[in-house]
Amino acid sequence: MTLDQRRAAELAPSRAVAALRSAAPLAVGLGLALALHLGLDASDLPFHTKVLVDVGINVILAVSLTMVNGFTGQFSVGHAAFMAVGGYTAGALTYYSSLLLWDSGDQHGGFLGAGEWLFVGSCIVGGLVAAAAGYVVGLPSLRLRGDYLAIVTLGFGEIVRVILQQTGNVKFTADEVREAGFLDTATSLGGALGFTGVPTYSSIFWVYAFVAITLLVAHRLKFSTYGRAFLSIREDEIAAEAMGVRTTRYKVLAFVLAAGFAGIAGGMFAHQSGATLNPRELGFQKSFDVVTMVVLGGMGSISGAVAAAAILTILPELLRDLPHVWPAGVLVLALGLAFGGPKRARFALWTVGVTAAIEAIRFGARRLGVNLADYRLIFYALSLILMMILRPQGIFGVREAWEIGPIGRILARRARRAAP
Amino acid sequence: MSDALLQVDAISKSFGGLRAVTEFTLRLAPGDLQGLIGPNGAGKTTVFNLLTGVYTPTAGTISLAGRRLSGLRPHRIAQAGMARTFQNIRLFGDLSVLDNVRVACHLRVNRGVLSAILRSGGSIGEERAITERARSLLRIFNLLDREAEDARSLPYGDQRRLEIARAIATEPRVLLLDEPAAGMNPQEKIELRELIRKVRRDFGLTVLLIEHDMGVVMDCCEKITVLDHGVTIAHGTPERIQSDSKVIEAYLGAPASDLPPRAGGGR
Ligand SMILES: Nc1ncnc2c1ncn2[C@@H]1O[C@H](COP(=O)(O)OP(=O)(O)OP(=O)(O)O)[C@@H](O)[C@H]1O
Ligand SMILES: [Mg+2]
Repeated sequence: MTLDQRRAAELAPSRAVAALRSAAPLAVGLGLALALHLGLDASDLPFHTKVLVDVGINVILAVSLTMVNGFTGQFSVGHAAFMAVGGYTAGALTYYSSLLLWDSGDQHGGFLGAGEWLFVGSCIVGGLVAAAAGYVVGLPSLRLRGDYLAIVTLGFGEIVRVILQQTGNVKFTADEVREAGFLDTATSLGGALGFTGVPTYSSIFWVYAFVAITLLVAHRLKFSTYGRAFLSIREDEIAAEAMGVRTTRYKVLAFVLAAGFAGIAGGMFAHQSGATLNPRELGFQKSFDVVTMVVLGGMGSISGAVAAAAILTILPELLRDLPHVWPAGVLVLALGLAFGGPKRARFALWTVGVTAAIEAIRFGARRLGVNLADYRLIFYALSLILMMILRPQGIFGVREAWEIGPIGRILARRARRAAP
Repeated sequence: MSDALLQVDAISKSFGGLRAVTEFTLRLAPGDLQGLIGPNGAGKTTVFNLLTGVYTPTAGTISLAGRRLSGLRPHRIAQAGMARTFQNIRLFGDLSVLDNVRVACHLRVNRGVLSAILRSGGSIGEERAITERARSLLRIFNLLDREAEDARSLPYGDQRRLEIARAIATEPRVLLLDEPAAGMNPQEKIELRELIRKVRRDFGLTVLLIEHDMGVVMDCCEKITVLDHGVTIAHGTPERIQSDSKVIEAYLGAPASDLPPRAGGGR
């Protein structure tokens, strides 16, 4: 028995409208990425560009992990391992192909030139390889209920790290590569020293193009019948199964998708300027950073993961030279008082308190000549603890930014009126 | 025997040394509304768990419309047309009321996940058909004006009814209700009886009902099976069951708090 297909066909939009609605968001996303790219290019802000690339990569990581830890409620702590798999695959592909094709490991061609397409292709292959790794890791561990996934992903991360550390030295010339053959070259990934020399292609445009794709996929998944099936697994696996949801299959599907996007993020990371693709860099610490972003954003909230990834990436940079926060505090206070719900008094009190505390710390640091960046991990920890006390469900909880607060109330009212 | 919709043949289940269900046999013809009663710990919920694949029977077979179900995963059994509610409510608490029902429509979907990611016209059509169906169910269950609320924020009685709506959304042929009246007030119980009869009629369902509230059971069910310590001690019409000496003994032998009719339910 299937859903009433005749009714579904009646309700479907026309072919042209559907095609437009399918493609338009991606076009907008790519347009925004291009605008950001050109804007930054024109204003010549290399440091800001670097931070924004980092933000983009972390957004892809956090949003993809949200599909697993947020949507299906599993607990993976090895996301960086899939990043490493994708990153090394993509990096090696681009680098060694460049050597063979153009006799040089440097950038080739300009914006949208041959070199960039090689890079994009490599990142996609890296994503596919990472997704395949995700299938191998996920299938056995996700059949079982419980926390096996955490243990298995932890182990997988270590295995990846150790294997990468055993790889041989990077080859430097096309002749070396030809002489060595495929297998030898494929295992020449720099070992413990890291894979250096991958050409720099991760520009703002490409990183944010993939951010757009990741966001689009995650959003459409979440707000589709498949996303609801994912969420039902998190809510109650037994009930989900009893309602006909193929829980194992969907847990694996979410995990494979997430691993694939982590692989692409790894590819972006590998082609970043000044990056050393290094087994330690992509170890447990990195996995944990991504988990922190997902938890902070609110398990299952895409916009929450984006916000948390941005905050946790920018925060350490801000701490190097902490600006005044009181204007932001006043703004938040005003918005909270104007549009806040029943708990706005409490919210206002906390806003004032936190703003004052940060200002006091800033003042003290200036007086004593302390560099706050040295203490950023303490700030991290403190802000996490504060967050867990204030909003244990994360910034947005399961919901999206637009589903809560005043906008959410308006949207809900509209949806109710639209209901038959 | 060939016209049975659900045929359960001597299924048993032990937990370690405890024989929770022993050679349970049941036959539901299309359109039947039968009851399953017994004192606390008699094995009623275990029977449901066996029927829906949560547990695999240690012996015996279950078949639905001639198709063998024993050994299948729960989602396959749901697909085959058996749906249930849970004694200790198992809604998707953080999801909206509407989404709870829409999740249960998922198993009848045709389009693949790629179609959903591309938002193809077909997937949009299915999505709208699902929403339409879910809303029409919510209307029947008087929950439409709460569709946007989190399921966990509903009052108890509404949660029970939402569970039934969700089960029906899977388009079952057989519906298993595990103590649907537990925690309801007298008015809600009266409405529940009406609701059960109505959905059985309107959706052409065959219903098996576990219930401690004898008012509901005796009023609704045409036939009743009585379990005690996993063993079937009686089977027959409500009148016969009420005067059956073994049944009376089983209930009187149990602690006084379990005497029917009982308000509230185990969680
Ligand atoms: N997973 C399990 N593991 C061990 N024992 C179990 C399990 N499930 C049920 N039992 C035991 O099996 C027996 C039957 O339990 P069951 O829940 O089926 O009773 P019930 O008739 O539904 O009772 P109630 O009216 O209280 O809901 C009980 O003794 C219970 O403790
Ligand atoms: Mg029970």
